[in-house]
Amino acid sequence: MKAKLWGTRGSIPAPGPETIRYGGNTSCVGVTLSDGSLLALDAGSGIRSLGLSLGDEPARLHILLTHLHLDHIQGLVFFAPAFRPQTEIVIWGPASPEASLRDRIARYISAPLSPVEVRELPCDVSFRHCPETEWEIGPARIRAASVSHRGPTLGYRIDDGDSSLAYIPDHEPALGADLDQLEEDWISGFDLARDASLLIHDGQYSDAEYPAHVGWGHSALSHSLTFARRAAAERTVLFHHDPMHSDQFLDELGAQANRDWVDLGGRDGAVEIGAERTEYELAARALSPAATA
Amino acid sequence: MTQKPLELILARNLMSALSTPAFLVDEGGVLVFYNESAGLLLGKRFEELGTVGPQEWGSMFGPFDDSGAQLVYDELPLVKAVRNGRPAHAEFTIRSTDGSLHEVEAAAFPILTAHGSQGAIALFWPTGGGQNGAGPG
Repeated sequence: MKAKLWGTRGSIPAPGPETIRYGGNTSCVGVTLSDGSLLALDAGSGIRSLGLSLGDEPARLHILLTHLHLDHIQGLVFFAPAFRPQTEIVIWGPASPEASLRDRIARYISAPLSPVEVRELPCDVSFRHCPETEWEIGPARIRAASVSHRGPTLGYRIDDGDSSLAYIPDHEPALGADLDQLEEDWISGFDLARDASLLIHDGQYSDAEYPAHVGWGHSALSHSLTFARRAAAERTVLFHHDPMHSDQFLDELGAQANRDWVDLGGRDGAVEIGAERTEYELAARALSPAATA
Repeated sequence: MTQKPLELILARNLMSALSTPAFLVDEGGVLVFYNESAGLLLGKRFEELGTVGPQEWGSMFGPFDDSGAQLVYDELPLVKAVRNGRPAHAEFTIRSTDGSLHEVEAAAFPILTAHGSQGAIALFWPTGGGQNGAGPG
């Protein structure tokens, strides 16, 4: 399984010379499964570049949406494969008692916000609510679970062979909770991230910024690291960068993250700041001491 | 260990910040948490007690009606809320671990989600003040 970051930013695209290295596109991760099947995790503005990279392939792909905030769906109407009649796209997302996934997405893909309507998309597109139980796409087992954020929001776990990817880009597991003390089964998103080969997790705020943003649905650096340590993720990528964070700021945050991670007993270099176009090859993870005991 | 549903996690986080005694049961009626204020009322912190099965918690601290008779488990607001998916209210007396009695009003409401009931929350309001004694039952 491979994962490539096409958009690492949260909230709103933040292009410009000060964000050129980590990227200004909003959330999107392309995942290539071991049989070549393609998944897109979220459809922020980064999915536009993903679409352009595909050429005329593939004929079928799945888009897994964590939630419907604009920074996670705004790229849908600029996703080139959606405008090819031969493409079949399955869009997965959270259920809501208010309206179907299709109807909620259609609020964005409709006038006056969009020049095209969902029914006008040339591709064969279908919308599915994520089931409560695990399901399969190609060789992968997919699991979705509600996580602590504003509004119905999912995190995903993808297991393909012996490797696993956990994707929780918008997450505030420490809201009203002490992640150090809480039992594992009471930590939002824990089961998704447990022993993951790669955890892509919300890293929106520094610890100094967080107090002004409590309840906004995102994590402080120390929360992200504590969550990753409790879940025993092998490698962690901090993601969903605040649009105000420049490359220089993120360099410093990344250095701080690595120091703190080592202080927590983690492996040097196992935590990094997500940068657009970075690709990860997910190997089977080595058994942890806990798993071999 | 099975991951708790997000709605229970958020409920516990909220309850932890409240000064109102609050109790949380899962969809099977198992008492999975109560907050510090409830612990003061009962005389035992949740961390000391841990999770308690449905029938067991229903009789651990009473509760008793005006005549001193123990309330039927099925009639407790928390049980009605989780079983029927509707709010429920009652007044009764509970006995804490030191034997003191406390009159309370209890309001319970179900935690209903897109995936059905996940449990229920009960909030207690002490009404008549504490009273020492062995208590009925």
